[in-house]
Amino acid sequence: MAKKRHHWIVRVTHWVNVVAIIIMVGSGLQIFNAYPAFARKGELFCCYPFEHKPVPAWLTFGGWLAGARNWHFAMMWVLVVNGLIYLAFVYLHGEWRDLVPRKGDIRDSWQMLKFYTFRRKDHPHQGKHNALQKATYFTLPFAGLLAVLTGIAIWKPVQLSWLTALFGGYVWARYWHFIAMVVIVVLSVVHVFMVFAVDPYSLPSMITGNYDEKLSPEARNARPFYHLFPRRARPTPPPEAT
Amino acid sequence: MTEPRKFLTIGGIDRREFLAIGGGVFSAAFLAACDSSGPKSAEKLLRYAERKNLGVERALFRHTAIDKVQAGAHDAGNKLPSYFVSPTVPVWDETARGKWALEVSGLVGKPMRLSLDDLQRLPRVSNRVNHYCVEGWTAVETWTGVPFTELAKLVGALPDAHYVDFQSFDDDYHESWDIESAMHPQTVVAYGLDGKMLEPAHGAPARVYSPIKLGYKNTKYLTKIVFLPKMNGGYWSDRGYEWYGGV
Repeated sequence: MAKKRHHWIVRVTHWVNVVAIIIMVGSGLQIFNAYPAFARKGELFCCYPFEHKPVPAWLTFGGWLAGARNWHFAMMWVLVVNGLIYLAFVYLHGEWRDLVPRKGDIRDSWQMLKFYTFRRKDHPHQGKHNALQKATYFTLPFAGLLAVLTGIAIWKPVQLSWLTALFGGYVWARYWHFIAMVVIVVLSVVHVFMVFAVDPYSLPSMITGNYDEKLSPEARNARPFYHLFPRRARPTPPPEAT
Repeated sequence: MTEPRKFLTIGGIDRREFLAIGGGVFSAAFLAACDSSGPKSAEKLLRYAERKNLGVERALFRHTAIDKVQAGAHDAGNKLPSYFVSPTVPVWDETARGKWALEVSGLVGKPMRLSLDDLQRLPRVSNRVNHYCVEGWTAVETWTGVPFTELAKLVGALPDAHYVDFQSFDDDYHESWDIESAMHPQTVVAYGLDGKMLEPAHGAPARVYSPIKLGYKNTKYLTKIVFLPKMNGGYWSDRGYEWYGGV
């Protein structure tokens, strides 16, 4: 039986986030391409191997620097307000219990990796999310917080110089802003890949809210692209959903 | 035991419908992203956001917030890029236009024309500060000139002068500022850069310079400073960059 899995607030904030993050990343990369480097003029920067190499234009949004800046400075409010609504809901409604790290999560993550790499036959037992998902969904709000704070730091390096100084000054704050974006993009890309490769049923569940536990990756013993592998006899029967 | 339909239907949507809808949504998003500058209907919303941001930024602004150069930062020296909008470096042509002078006018008690010598006789400061470019780079330089506050005092700026327009001989380049930013202690009318007289590449004979505004707000090749009751846009501000441009 399909059961309610995602509250409508989680579903709405999730999809608003999709739009906001795509536009923030695209416009951010367009802004970055105006000066695709971190070094202060007359200096070198230690820690970015692609100094002065622009990112591909197809990743950018906003058309030109001013257009991208206007999008970035408008969408940032959507991202922040949406993020606060989500975090407030998760806190007040108790969903945070499904996301906070717990004892055994590292062991469980290791077991998930073993399962995905065929070194373990049966899917580890899990709650709403597996241990790797939990780690991802727990990390993302922090990456978002870092992106927002470093963003403010490079928006107002004089008026809020204490914040900029906290991140090591303007050059470093800009670098951490970029790193936060990379973390968000990598985790999001893996997330989307795993949705299609392992748990496609979670996609409609993020729209309708309903999810049938009998179709969960655990019940189906699903690895990435499990349906492309030849079928073999299952080592143990899947546990009956109660 | 297992009904195959179960795997095909989710929440009343079957797999084909789902793929069709999902595919549509994704291609729409992709097309929107590829039409580089986004939907035209968003223009209004973006301008609304800019107005709201302007309010936030002006509320955040403090004269006590001073730009400081980080310890160990190197001067940009000749790595400071040179920007102008004319086809070639604007140079004041004395034979055609007469001796250069800075006109200070508008809502002031005593409008004035100040020669470069006049400017150099006024109180002088040298500020080693950051240059924040809208492109994202910064550069450390030392700017020498007259604090804007001294100039405002000299001409007797009137209380209803809420804005200042900095105009130039670099084609029609100008940028108008809010008076609070102009009166910031680090805003100068600069004629010196790194201990030398300003060169044409960086705005000679004089330019406005402040670390509290993005580079494009700091008009080079100054001809006029006009105190105004209303904002007067600017070269880049009228072409899509935010008018405030404060950091």
